[in-house]
Amino acid sequence: MSGTDYNYDEQGQFFPYFIITLTTLVTIPVTYSLLKPSKELESTATRIASDFKPEHADIIDGQRKKQKRRERRLKRFLFSVGGWLTIAWMIYLMAVTARTIPKIWDPYDVLGVSRSATEKEIKSHYRKLSLTAHPDKAHEDPAKNITKESINDHWVDVTKAFKALTDEEIRNNFLQYGHPDGKQSFSIGIALPKWIVTEGAGKYVLLLYALALGVLLPYTVGRWWYGIQRLTKEKILVASAGKLFREYDNDQGDSGVVGVLSSGEEFNEVLKGHKADNGLSKLEQRVLADGSDSPVNGALTKKDRQKLEDMDDSSRRKVLTLLWAYLCRIELDDPVLNDEKYEVAPIALLLNEAYTSMALAYGNTKAVLSAYHTAQNLIQALRPGASPLEQLPYFSPAVAKAAEADRSKTHLSIQEFMRIPAAQRKARVVSPGLLSESQYQSAMSVVSQLPVMHVEKAFFKVIGERYITPSSLVQFVIKSRFIPPGAVNIPPINEADLEDVDPEEGDVEALHAKKEEQETGDTIQPPLAHAPYFARDHAPRWHIFLADSKQGKIAVPPFTFTTFNKPIIDESGKPTYNMQTLKMQFGAPPQAGSYTFVMHMICDSYIGMDTKMEVTLVVEEASKAEEMEEEEDISEPEDDTIAGQMRTLKSGGIPGASSGSKPKKRRAAVQDEESSDGSDTDGDVNSESETDTDTDTDDE
Amino acid sequence: MWPFDLVNWLTLSIPFAYLFILIGSLSVFANLYRKRQAAKIAHLEPWFPPHLQRNIYLTLLHQENPKVPDSILKAALLRRATEDIHRIVQIRNAKQALQVLLQRGSVGDDLWQRFQRAEKEIEEELRDVVNEANAFAPNWGTTIFQSASEMAQNAHLRERISEIQATGPAEKEWWEKRRTEISSSFMKELDEEKSTPAADATTKSIPKIGSDDDAVIVEAGGPTVNAGKAKNKKKGKH
Repeated sequence: MSGTDYNYDEQGQFFPYFIITLTTLVTIPVTYSLLKPSKELESTATRIASDFKPEHADIIDGQRKKQKRRERRLKRFLFSVGGWLTIAWMIYLMAVTARTIPKIWDPYDVLGVSRSATEKEIKSHYRKLSLTAHPDKAHEDPAKNITKESINDHWVDVTKAFKALTDEEIRNNFLQYGHPDGKQSFSIGIALPKWIVTEGAGKYVLLLYALALGVLLPYTVGRWWYGIQRLTKEKILVASAGKLFREYDNDQGDSGVVGVLSSGEEFNEVLKGHKADNGLSKLEQRVLADGSDSPVNGALTKKDRQKLEDMDDSSRRKVLTLLWAYLCRIELDDPVLNDEKYEVAPIALLLNEAYTSMALAYGNTKAVLSAYHTAQNLIQALRPGASPLEQLPYFSPAVAKAAEADRSKTHLSIQEFMRIPAAQRKARVVSPGLLSESQYQSAMSVVSQLPVMHVEKAFFKVIGERYITPSSLVQFVIKSRFIPPGAVNIPPINEADLEDVDPEEGDVEALHAKKEEQETGDTIQPPLAHAPYFARDHAPRWHIFLADSKQGKIAVPPFTFTTFNKPIIDESGKPTYNMQTLKMQFGAPPQAGSYTFVMHMICDSYIGMDTKMEVTLVVEEASKAEEMEEEEDISEPEDDTIAGQMRTLKSGGIPGASSGSKPKKRRAAVQDEESSDGSDTDGDVNSESETDTDTDTDDE
Repeated sequence: MWPFDLVNWLTLSIPFAYLFILIGSLSVFANLYRKRQAAKIAHLEPWFPPHLQRNIYLTLLHQENPKVPDSILKAALLRRATEDIHRIVQIRNAKQALQVLLQRGSVGDDLWQRFQRAEKEIEEELRDVVNEANAFAPNWGTTIFQSASEMAQNAHLRERISEIQATGPAEKEWWEKRRTEISSSFMKELDEEKSTPAADATTKSIPKIGSDDDAVIVEAGGPTVNAGKAKNKKKGKH
């Protein structure tokens, strides 16, 4: 500190700059995160157009709004507003405070000559000045505040300036240090007002500092840490996760899963205090009534009913009864209870996600299926074992029963219902007491917008290889189309679409194009789930997994698809029937042989749109695969050249015509033995194959 | 004394006080934290509910007046072993899944601690049962769990069979109802046919056959096939 002195910002001309820098550093990112449009699936997808208003639509909308308010990030908003206000204030301060810029000594200015003046001009000007400004010549003038001293000072300045411009040495000094006398001392300023460190305020500043470091910092870190510890990866409370795991059982059916979900701690936050068992007796009376026509009786198994009635904890009993009331769409005749009924379902769905991950950790196919079916039931507000037709607007249990014409104990899926010839279908449901003509039309318009994934082909392959060798990285490729139920004039499948052509190893361009396609693609979203009773927006997700049917275990854990690479509907709202490619990668088994898996494709939002299909993975011995490759190299040289491959690529890879080696390319034969969309709980729908579909729809 | 005169005790005490406060507060915090953690672990909920069979066995064993006969004690011990089998199966199934979930962060640490404690408990329990069994008869300890697991399996099977059989009456009722419905509609159609003139009937019967056919087939083959399926379905679910 010896040579330099720290100056404090007495006039307050610098600290606004300091504060403005700090505030913008924080405010701009916060504002960006506040204003950035949400990338979540739920906020970017379209909706299924429907004029159907369920009963208590106002309550459900109220719940949706409540959730929106919760997501509004009020704190962030206030913070950024505060930040911008501070910035504005600082800018105002900067504009208002007079700036005391230290005057830069300029000899030209002092002499009053132009910068382009030559030495001769300067000399003559100096002489002229000496006639007026020299202390001997100039006169004191108290009126103009000109004293002897000021005259002297001015003259010294003028002389200095003259020397700076004419004397060699002084000129060098001026050029180097900006001053004719040579190097000047410099000072460092601190952009803080002086009062911060003066005796009176110093204590408080120190106190503030101690508070920030000793209290605020540990508090924030602690809150963050314990906040993280409180929630699991699935964003549910750790206590709930523990309870779910304790109550997990491989063999509980769909209704058992609902019972387990009611153990979540999250419900206690909704049903706080007196709400915990308010109206429980009324609720139980409505929901668990012993009438034989009560929908609860059909859905709730005897065992689970017994469990519900034996529960000691009244708040849990209320939650579970509310859940059943929601799933059975029971009117509770009480606005508060109805509100709670719609509030518990989204929480249960969140818990169900955690339950699903537990089922996956156990790897039991049946339990995983139960968990997925529970998600479907919760989103559609339908009890387990209900008719899938009740997902449609205005379809009450009575209408669904009439639609099924009471054929058997199993239910018709929406797709099967739509395969019934139009006239017959309409005759079943449009009648007094069931549906009116307009209601039927509105239901049919919703049906025509439902995204039902129809698997056209599924096969295994290894990129760049002809065979699947042990322990290689296998791709399971699924070619599928979105076909709305009851669609007519479905275009035939383009054979080329079913191929999945690898880019050649040397073909950089094709590889690049492929990569680009993967990066830019997969942004097309199907519309949000049509779930009028579910008090949240939900984007449908498709889970695909492979199961080992002999052991009842999951062989390849689910891959979840939410976005697709090709448009599903065109501008006019018509389905495009584009072939979608879904891929999942996993390691092949280490031993050669043929492995049969059951592929399950489950949409988590709609009931009765699951696909179950047998696929066979043929793994060849590595040595054999090599041999075969060599043989082929000798016999068909022209097809292995890049040019030959390019030709097949260009021609669209129509098998047989352009490439002899094409069929050999995919060694993993896939047998579409059973393609049953619809209720997979019983495998007796497989008699209706795709050919039947076409003939049926042609009748319309 | 020479060196101590120069020392300014007051200023020297400040750094020592600082160190004392720092170390003291840290150690107090650590102490309290550990105690709280220990108390928390001690108050964790047990994994399994109270072991009823073990309690029954111990009560019978310690009953003095009148003394419980050996056969009843042995039966109680077998029951206790059966319950242990249930528990150990549950523990074994859960272990791998729980490890996976813990790694992924889907469950909390508490649960893992509870689980480990339950595991230790069940080990002790098994050892105790083996010792008790050996006390009744030499070498019974080596076979008691084998018989217990057979008992458990048997009970499980019985339960499932009774569950499946319980669905019988309801199914039967449904199919009876269905049959009467079909036959009544069939009779009605026959009546209609009779009442219309013969010439008309020939032309009219052609479209009808289609719909009748369906019903007849369902009646003939339906009940047996579908009943079997329904049972399969139940089996699959439980």
